[in-house]
Amino acid sequence: MPILTFVQSLILSLALAAGAQANSTPGAPVQSAAKASSHSTADHSKFDILNKPFASGPEVTRACLSCHTEAAKQVQKTKHWTWEFMNPTTQQRLGKKHVINNFCTAVPSNYEFCTACHVGYDWKDNNFDFTAQEKVDCLVCHDTTGTYRKLPGLAGHPPYKDVEFPPQSGRIVKAPDLGDVARKVGKSSRANCGACHFFGGGGDAVKHGDLDSSMRNPGKYLDVHMAKDGLNFTCGTCHATAGHDVPGSRYAPTASDDDQGVHMRGKKHANPATCQACHGPRPHTAKHAKLNDHTDKIACQTCHIPEYARGGVPTKMSWDWSTAGKLDKNGKPFKLKDSGGHDAYDSKKGDFKYEDNVIPEYVWFNGTVNYTLRETKLDPSQVIRINHFEGSPDDGKSKIWPIKRFTGKQPYDTVTNTLLIPHTYGKDDSSYWSNFDWDKALTVGMREAGGTFSGKFDFVSTEMSWPITHMVAPKADALTCQQCHGAPGRLDQVPGLYIPGRDANVWLDRIGWSAALLTLLGVIAHGGLRIVMARKGERQ
Amino acid sequence: MLKALAGFVVGIVVIALAGWMMMPHLMFTERVSPFGMEETVARIQHNIQNTGNGWELSGLRNPAKAVQSDGGNVLPVLMIEACSTDYSKPILKEDTVRFLSILMPCKISVYKKNDGKVYIGTMNAGLMGKMFGPLVGEVMGKVAADQQKFLAFDPSTPAPPMILPAAPAAGGGGGQGSGGGC
Repeated sequence: MPILTFVQSLILSLALAAGAQANSTPGAPVQSAAKASSHSTADHSKFDILNKPFASGPEVTRACLSCHTEAAKQVQKTKHWTWEFMNPTTQQRLGKKHVINNFCTAVPSNYEFCTACHVGYDWKDNNFDFTAQEKVDCLVCHDTTGTYRKLPGLAGHPPYKDVEFPPQSGRIVKAPDLGDVARKVGKSSRANCGACHFFGGGGDAVKHGDLDSSMRNPGKYLDVHMAKDGLNFTCGTCHATAGHDVPGSRYAPTASDDDQGVHMRGKKHANPATCQACHGPRPHTAKHAKLNDHTDKIACQTCHIPEYARGGVPTKMSWDWSTAGKLDKNGKPFKLKDSGGHDAYDSKKGDFKYEDNVIPEYVWFNGTVNYTLRETKLDPSQVIRINHFEGSPDDGKSKIWPIKRFTGKQPYDTVTNTLLIPHTYGKDDSSYWSNFDWDKALTVGMREAGGTFSGKFDFVSTEMSWPITHMVAPKADALTCQQCHGAPGRLDQVPGLYIPGRDANVWLDRIGWSAALLTLLGVIAHGGLRIVMARKGERQ
Repeated sequence: MLKALAGFVVGIVVIALAGWMMMPHLMFTERVSPFGMEETVARIQHNIQNTGNGWELSGLRNPAKAVQSDGGNVLPVLMIEACSTDYSKPILKEDTVRFLSILMPCKISVYKKNDGKVYIGTMNAGLMGKMFGPLVGEVMGKVAADQQKFLAFDPSTPAPPMILPAAPAAGGGGGQGSGGGC
């Protein structure tokens, strides 16, 4: 197989980057490259109800529901529909509908834009009907043509006529042929899930670090499970879905799965998406049995995902909203690029930093994530942790996990000391991206969110943690012993660890060296005496 | 007499050992870059273009790509290649030192290490040149002086764009050379 030359790869990555720019939104174009051979017993192109033109998404959904009578009801119970999650441990009401992050900040007041990644149609304000079954979007998860694409600003709809997107970009997004898409539906591919999850945070690779467009068709170096020329897993292979409910959660991740054992047919497994669900808690062979002594304290991901953002698409590492709003000499918003051609500044959003092949940070994590919510009082003199991974070396539940730490600056109310939600997107005069007026944007954003705004604001430093769990490297590229046991090592910032080879107890060392020295002296003395005595004996 | 000879031999061995251990640090230099991978590469590339003396960029190689193609991972490495005919010509004209063409083009390596920092690796052209007689010593001395200019960064200037190779060409190491300069 010919080696992909650097230039070819650069051209390819530039093309992808250009595509990503064009699609730098949730709901980016879906490729059907991961389409597997189908074992379905139904050929949807033979269904009469689908052999007609469709004018809208909900029309297609009504046709789907005429056979799949329970599908919408199932979807409507999931986080993908409700955008809500009640954490049973912390009792925090989470989900996209409620949380504030340090990327685009929050959904309320920006529904038409953000709901490009909702599995529904028409969610454009607080009055969305969560019970309407025809508003469930079947196609976004089941399209196999790669032509179905939801654009920000359309409240979860695909374009029904060709549109220029982004506006004034000169790029045309074609309206999908809904009938054709409906007749070719199939199982969800990596591209289906990736249309949103690869583009979280407003662009390719922005949010997660371990999920980006390079995972549509990854090479073996990037992900041994999903490699197109290897196991070719789809997302659903691990996130084994039942009744449209996709297991796996970033609000309540499974930090340790050792007591569940290997996932078996017929056995209910709490989370089939963990490594242990397939590999078990002691996965290394007898030849490497010592590694199994690490698995009670070290998450598999720590060693087996040595770096993230390895697919040639850099991930965003920081976002500073406080610098947004600068205009050029003509009073127009502008963008600046960094040396790699990635956005470094955008008048609408502020300053960014991107990085690829990022070495993760490592933390103790027991599965509990605490969020700074809208009502949480904060201390603006500190860096605010938008979410906090709980854990310690002593709680018996924690493992050391790799994370991406994303930093930023975002608006907060200097009177109430709470985070603020800006109204960023909208065709109205108050949206920040229209008028670059923080006062108006924050007033409307907080009103829509049902919160209060004193009228006084500033920007506070924030950070957010993301567990790294995709982009599993080949075993030959797992961390070596030396990378943790040597000094400096990967785990230097993790508290409560004694790592042989890296750490030392001064008294233990003194005792050991003293014992060695005394032994040496004893050997020399004993040997010397024997030589002396032997010579004496010879003389006599 | 025997003791003096033994001392002489031990002295030679110690000096040879010290030389052996110090050689890599003398022949090659490594420094931490204050910038990320792409910005470091871009700034060096622009410095090369602004140095004059016939310097031109002749390639940008990415050996990590070849490892990826083979199903493996290494941390990022980018090799900037530059050449100046002002300096290559006198060496290439002289039969006795033509073999030094294996050192062409001049390479500067930018790479990330496990501490997360970006490093710049260069050859100590000045010292190496002195090993090959006055002609090469003089030329490589000039190369070494220019090399210092390549690595002189001004953080107050905005990050320039990375200069991507002009045309695709087959090449080992997942890289290419556009043939500029030499």
